[in-house]
Amino acid sequence: MRVVKNAFCRNLICYVRGRFKMNILKQLPSLFLLAVVAIILPATSFAKLPVPPGIHPPPGEYDGKHVQQPIEFPHFRHVRDMKINCMYCHTYARRSKVAGIPPTSKCMGCHKVIATDKPRIKLLTKYWKEGKSPVWKKVHDVPDFVHFSHEKHIRRFVFKANFPVEKVQEVCGICHGEIRQMTTARKVKPLNMGFCRRCHALNGGPGDCWKCHK
Amino acid sequence: MSLKINRRNFLRMLGWGSAGTALTGCDMPSYITEEEGKEDVVSYLIPEEYVIPGIGVWYSSTCTACEAGCGLHGRVREGRVLKLEGNPESPINNGNTCLMGQAQLQGHYNPDRITAPMMRKAGHLQNVSWDEAAAELKKHIGSDSGLKGERFGILTGTVSGHQAVLVDELLDKVGSKNHYVHETVNTTVWNAVCRDMLGEDNPKYHFEKAGVILSFGSDFLATFGSLVHNMGEYAKFRRQEQRGMLVQIEPKMTMTGGSADLWVPIVPGTEGALALGIANFILEKGWNSVDVPDTVKNTLKQYNLVAVEKITGIDANKIKRIASILTERSPSLVLAGASATNQENGYDAAAAIMLLNLLMGNVGKTIDGAWKANEAALRPRQGNTKDLLLLAKAMRDKKLDVLVTVNSNPAFTAPDVLQFSDGLGNVGFKVALSMFPDETTLQADLVLPLSHAMEDWGTHIAAYQPTEAFVGFQQPLMENLYKDSRGFGDMMLTMLKTRSADYDKFPDYYSYLQTAMANMPGATGTAEERWNDILQHGMTKIKSTKKPLSPRLVDFKFKVPQVNTEYPMYLLPSARLGMWDGRHANIPWLQEAPDQISKVVWGSWAEIHPKRAEELGVKNGDYVKITSASGSIEVQIYVHHGVHPDAIAVPFGQGHQEFGRYAKNRGVNPLKILNPLMERRTGELATHATRVAVTNVHKHEYLVKMGGSESQVGRRFIRTTTPDALRRTRRAEKEV
Repeated sequence: MRVVKNAFCRNLICYVRGRFKMNILKQLPSLFLLAVVAIILPATSFAKLPVPPGIHPPPGEYDGKHVQQPIEFPHFRHVRDMKINCMYCHTYARRSKVAGIPPTSKCMGCHKVIATDKPRIKLLTKYWKEGKSPVWKKVHDVPDFVHFSHEKHIRRFVFKANFPVEKVQEVCGICHGEIRQMTTARKVKPLNMGFCRRCHALNGGPGDCWKCHK
Repeated sequence: MSLKINRRNFLRMLGWGSAGTALTGCDMPSYITEEEGKEDVVSYLIPEEYVIPGIGVWYSSTCTACEAGCGLHGRVREGRVLKLEGNPESPINNGNTCLMGQAQLQGHYNPDRITAPMMRKAGHLQNVSWDEAAAELKKHIGSDSGLKGERFGILTGTVSGHQAVLVDELLDKVGSKNHYVHETVNTTVWNAVCRDMLGEDNPKYHFEKAGVILSFGSDFLATFGSLVHNMGEYAKFRRQEQRGMLVQIEPKMTMTGGSADLWVPIVPGTEGALALGIANFILEKGWNSVDVPDTVKNTLKQYNLVAVEKITGIDANKIKRIASILTERSPSLVLAGASATNQENGYDAAAAIMLLNLLMGNVGKTIDGAWKANEAALRPRQGNTKDLLLLAKAMRDKKLDVLVTVNSNPAFTAPDVLQFSDGLGNVGFKVALSMFPDETTLQADLVLPLSHAMEDWGTHIAAYQPTEAFVGFQQPLMENLYKDSRGFGDMMLTMLKTRSADYDKFPDYYSYLQTAMANMPGATGTAEERWNDILQHGMTKIKSTKKPLSPRLVDFKFKVPQVNTEYPMYLLPSARLGMWDGRHANIPWLQEAPDQISKVVWGSWAEIHPKRAEELGVKNGDYVKITSASGSIEVQIYVHHGVHPDAIAVPFGQGHQEFGRYAKNRGVNPLKILNPLMERRTGELATHATRVAVTNVHKHEYLVKMGGSESQVGRRFIRTTTPDALRRTRRAEKEV
């Protein structure tokens, strides 16, 4: 019997028995090819960011709208110019299911002295002095019935893969796109079930329904 | 083309279908997956080191769903409480909670919460600002209001700890003694008997030491006393080397009765006669371990087996069997609950039942002295129904100018015949401190939005203390959902400040509690260390003493209820774990939780014996009219054997006319048609003494309950056997 490396196929085998198993295995590659071609073709401009070795990013693009935020936070300044690693601010990504918006105290840790004359920093300082945090709008959001854990994905693709943490944006970029080029974040990947399933199939993620829908 | 549908083809289609769905359907855009920029996300200003968004932190608090005072742990994530569990450190619940405790979240997040102060203007309640509400409060309660003495009253449920202190102080400042403490689900009569015959109103029960528990309607697994504690102790009782035996004697099968090894239905109100009959039989046989004076023996002689069989309707052989079980399995524990004690002869019945404990030498073995907090001011004021009657009378007689009600809903629990709502009209100014728009709150002149227990500070000392007494500490698990709601303690302080400047030094109840805890006798460490320790554990030990019980006999004259030909049936308004006295009827989880015996959800029903149902010509789901001398209700019936043929049991807690969308206009309230009968010695409302007539109204609706069928329809999922067959098998096994 053929050794089936693909996790998705392996899962299907769990449910199908006997000759039928062999039949569907023969049919699957062609099906995959069709689907992959259909999705990849229009997405030729994908992956400007270097792809980390050993990761197969799933195809899929999305043209998210520009979301108005209380402060127009320049990601490009922090990530591209200052080369600050994503997890310096989104520190909960490695520990929790959510990456978290950095606490205002973290912003002020630098901006008490850095660029205090800039209008955005003045606005931030105003929030800080009033003892309030800005009310941001969520850009990347999966439905409540989806259990997505940042911590598990960071562990798999960064810590277990011995991927250098200073280049973590390449891993984050698989789902979040080129944040380093953006001011406020914009959704550029579909983040729907098809996108998740393709990534799990390509990278050996679990295929059980209840891994995400628990 | 013909496609034959066989198993293989079907699976093939299914396979292609799911593969297709996985690859294309999941990419279909939907309004949910493409949500961007809709939800707010707010970061912490300065995060606590231990707080990680997405990961829950557990905080300790105390449950207020009933008055047992269980310790709670609440999981809080991103500033919101999401799950409640028991605090393992609490000796009351040892880490467990009942369904009411679990469901408190839905009280907290209930969409029908009162969110702003309301004032009656031109006959209607209208939202007002807190400043306006406070000014109105000061006008009627403040020192310039002229309010003095007994014209002022406060109505609460069971209250203890520092909230009780503040209630006392407020009454003291006005010069009134009118603290009405009302609970419909209570053990007042039993407590009174314990106090008179044992010298301790809440003695400690050692279930785990008893060989047999003989319970006269005491639903200790659901509604009697500290129920989560009882459940744990009951498990130990059953796990003994010789499995403890439970004998339950009651007219309506309670949840505890459902677990009994021997369940005996009895004519309501005759429990005392049975207890005396058992006592007489035990004395005749000389099985008693403690002797009683001859005068008592002579009194008991009239309760011979023949007489008792006639009164109670229980076979003499069964009475003999119960007496011999009590003797063989000694030490025993004999308890009485609502169906025995909430009768006109309730005290006498409870005294007769307690006599069995004395006779069998249980005192000191299975019933023991309990720890009591030394500080009397902090001890609980246990709720009862006598205060409801007193309050109704005071209002009828126009003796109250100002009445403050705190989270109490007497307009729902009071029988119609007390004319409670009319009485409220006689009170000049009614202030309701309430979370929900219930029947009492909506008749108030000023409604102040109370914070939920999960947003409030408080201290609680439970009436039943299984170990050394402790203060259960209630700390907010999250910030106020509604900015205008205030805690109970805070509102009491607000009222006190209108009478005296002594309280101006406390900006809020939080600071009052901090001061109080720092000054608690026996404090060790710095005030801050102690405070943090209390918050961490959710409780703190308090100086308490335990005195041994001093058993003695009391005079009692047991009177058997008279036969009533006009109203031949006994109405049993039964308490239910979940609905309690109706305070949880607005919690959908608890409405959805089926009744433990009938499995009915979301409504009311009346339990009736098949024999009586046949006479009336009714079946499950048919409506009957239950008429008492004070009113009538129409309710669907549930036919089963767990009720005495002469009784009809209607659980209470439903039948709200107000109280939010989930409770309103659902079911009926049997308390409304109770006659104003009182227990003769304690003055409690005799809730189980009302007689009714039942008639068929020839109307049918499907009775909504979990599990449509009472039988296994011959499928034998659960194998059953007769006790005799089982005994034979065991004997055969031993012989092999």
